[in-house]
Amino acid sequence: MRPVVRAGLYAALTLAAITFIYPFLWMASTTLKPPFEVGTLALIPHTITFDNYRLMWSRAPFGRALLNSILVAGTITASVLVLGSMTAYAMARLTFPGRRVLNAVTMGVLLVPGQLTLIPLYTLIVQLGWIDTYAALIVPYLFNATAILLLRQFFLQIPQSLIDSARMDGMGELRILFTIFWPLARPALAIVAIFTFMGSWNEVLWPLLVVRDQQLMTLPQLLTVFQLGGGAGTLGVSLAAAMVLVVPVVVAYMFLQRYFIESMAGAGVKG
Amino acid sequence: MPSISFENVNKKFGDVSVVEDFSLRVEDGELLVLVGGSGSGKSTILRMVAGLEPVTSGTIRIDDRDITHLAPRDRDVAMVFQDYALYPHLTVRDNLSLGLRLRRMPAAEINRRVTWAADMLGLESLLDRKPKQLSGGQRQRVAMGRAMVREPLVFLFDEPLSNLDASLRARMRIEIGGLQRRLNTTTVYVTHDQVEAMTLGDRIVVLANGRIQQIGRPIELYRNPINRFVAGFIGTPPMNFVEGSLHRESGEVFFVSEGLRVELLADRLPASIPSKTMTLGIRPEDVTLADGKPVSGGAAGARLSGRVLLVERLGGTSHIHFDVGPHRLMATVSSEEPPEVGDTIGIEMPSERVHLFGADGNALARPD
Amino acid sequence: MARRPKREKSSMRAEQRSAWSLTAPYAAFLLAFAAYPVFFALALVFMHWDLVTAPSFAGIDNVRLLATDARFGRAVANTFVFLAIHLPLQIVTALGLALALNRRLAFRAFWRATFFLPVVISGAVVAILWNALYATDVGLINNLLAKLGGSPIPWLTDPSIAMPAIAVMVTWKNVGFYVIIYLAGLQYIPQSCREAIELDGANTWQRFRHLTLPMLLPQTILVVTLSTINGFQLFIEPYVMTGGGPLRRTYSVVLYMYTNAFSYQKMGYAATIGVALALIIGAVVAVQRRVIGSAEAA
Repeated sequence: MRPVVRAGLYAALTLAAITFIYPFLWMASTTLKPPFEVGTLALIPHTITFDNYRLMWSRAPFGRALLNSILVAGTITASVLVLGSMTAYAMARLTFPGRRVLNAVTMGVLLVPGQLTLIPLYTLIVQLGWIDTYAALIVPYLFNATAILLLRQFFLQIPQSLIDSARMDGMGELRILFTIFWPLARPALAIVAIFTFMGSWNEVLWPLLVVRDQQLMTLPQLLTVFQLGGGAGTLGVSLAAAMVLVVPVVVAYMFLQRYFIESMAGAGVKG
Repeated sequence: MPSISFENVNKKFGDVSVVEDFSLRVEDGELLVLVGGSGSGKSTILRMVAGLEPVTSGTIRIDDRDITHLAPRDRDVAMVFQDYALYPHLTVRDNLSLGLRLRRMPAAEINRRVTWAADMLGLESLLDRKPKQLSGGQRQRVAMGRAMVREPLVFLFDEPLSNLDASLRARMRIEIGGLQRRLNTTTVYVTHDQVEAMTLGDRIVVLANGRIQQIGRPIELYRNPINRFVAGFIGTPPMNFVEGSLHRESGEVFFVSEGLRVELLADRLPASIPSKTMTLGIRPEDVTLADGKPVSGGAAGARLSGRVLLVERLGGTSHIHFDVGPHRLMATVSSEEPPEVGDTIGIEMPSERVHLFGADGNALARPD
Repeated sequence: MARRPKREKSSMRAEQRSAWSLTAPYAAFLLAFAAYPVFFALALVFMHWDLVTAPSFAGIDNVRLLATDARFGRAVANTFVFLAIHLPLQIVTALGLALALNRRLAFRAFWRATFFLPVVISGAVVAILWNALYATDVGLINNLLAKLGGSPIPWLTDPSIAMPAIAVMVTWKNVGFYVIIYLAGLQYIPQSCREAIELDGANTWQRFRHLTLPMLLPQTILVVTLSTINGFQLFIEPYVMTGGGPLRRTYSVVLYMYTNAFSYQKMGYAATIGVALALIIGAVVAVQRRVIGSAEAA
């Protein structure tokens, strides 16, 4: 590669990288600026103030929302992993009538756009009396078709001999799944865990439909409501709220980027 | 038709020298084979002619035109790759014609050439198929067709037969040879298979560690290998080697090793020999079984006795593996009445068939 | 057929029983949250329901209303405006970055991670962030423009600029994802094919046009399909940034559906919008695949 071309590529890539990182840096620094400094290009504020964060925290229950998000995303991820593995295991290694139907329906689920089922799901929640409950946020997500298909694919590749010898030792199916399959399936489980958790963490539309009580709102939902309801007042405060949502993700991403990319790009394609 | 000349071509990857001081001239219409093991530099040399690998120093000319620093597309050279490198998304016809379309050749001429190549290679019925619908042999022929339609100055072949099974390889060898003779295009052909080299090449270049070991016609390399490497590389089955040393005794010269003594023709040897230790070489097909008659070709040579370990019967000929003292040797004889395992046999090594290699590996005495 | 030994039969039964108990929760879930909603959605199309009083039969009222609903038409038209900007921008940018990253360069993992970062971030955050970037008075972009001597552009308040502005933002958010997809595709182009086409006489552009681009066709189809579906599902961006304005020019279909359900309490009509959307997406994607497939074959 000629040096000119190489230099040009580095320049272009650096410029591109800047356009992706700079807005976040600017956002972070804006949250530390007093109102009169907001809007300047400076990345380091002349006066650093934590007022924005204090205001944000006092105006809306962000701490509670953070806990809600962790609870909801965590429960959903745990369920998808555990219940999903159980289902995937049965679909992959056990023979039973209806296996093929189950497989076909699972793949069919992936073809249906979420918008089609959004309203009926909403009416279902209303009829169950689950508005403003954690149940509404969690139950419809307890199983994830993409995760099940992915895990099933992985489980298909585990040698039958391992199962046979375990059965001869008298192990039941659940024992086999969790003591033999799970340790072997760590990469697949990690991938599923990441895209499930992130999907739930970032979800906004569904919570906006089924939760009205601020005490139950998830973090991105509260952030949106806060922004639109005028509770923020100034740019600094609304961005401070956004930071609460972003920082944990960015930190996790910095350490686990390979897993994030593999998970969300790979699973996204299959979905 | 042009010739190719290499002038002191060197290739280094970082500090590692892969091709050293390669100088050679390829004659018009010649099929030159570059043969050697992996790491010998043969593929690198080919790729330098194609322009796919930059030359560290030296010059390459095609018909007196210095192409050393030209881009591949400007060299008028066509290559058949080891994995054929067919364009997977194009039909056979489009694969053949892409190069011509890129050069904006008129459609009528493109058609003429494609039809001509397809006919010559038996591809007429395959023109609308895609590469994945073809067998290995068919893909190989499409790759050749793609090179042919360009009517280039030089054909380059990079181990084109490695991915084919043995019988197909034998057939394609004959086809390629016939094709090249008909087209009379200068060709450089790289292979690790010395049978391919011997059957296809007008001349062969044996390479090892980036250096030329020997250049010559196949029969020359067979009869007069210039060093131990070439001697052991060319010829199937490979040459027998015995380590030993030289002794002079009452005006006669002998090669001596444990359990073995061969008289050599003194006037064939150079006057002064730096070291006494040397290696004797003799091809299995030159070793004959003694049957009581005197050793042929005048005095000298050897008559030894050995014990048969293994007899490989191949129908018309047999390979006899036997021990002479601590040395394991092989003879290839016609199968009239091959000996049995455990037999003691008499072996003759005619001196004019014996090769001698000095401590540095170079040949000291060659047969006529 | 030979009779199976008794032990085998009972172990088969045991296996079936385990399987059923393992998959029963999932089957129940599918029935309640996957199958039922699909069928009920279709049923809702023919109903009027405000969730308070009992649902009433509506015949094809909802469908007729949708066919003449200017707001729905506007929302669909807005989506096409969005796609007209977003799709080409996405393809060109993602492909360009992927081609750049496909060489032997240092820091490749770093660049890749940077481009992918916005994919991981919540859409709500990205919307709020770009709201700030696009703000006419204190926004970062206009600030930069001012430094370069330009005058501020009303990114989100001008009816003809707002949707394109959102399209650029969504491209920024998702391009990293498609870079990964294109990179994976580029790995599959054999080095020897690249060399062969060079010897055949191709310059860099010709190599791109005749080898790289055609071999990336599956990836391009994927980019177009996923981006299109994403475009039709636009919600949080107009919701947060413009509320659907100015002059309803960023109003999206999902936003309309949401409003009908949440604010107007018209479940039947909202469901009708949902069904219509699913059908539109299916049709558009099918047409796209046909068009791209044949364009490349030419």
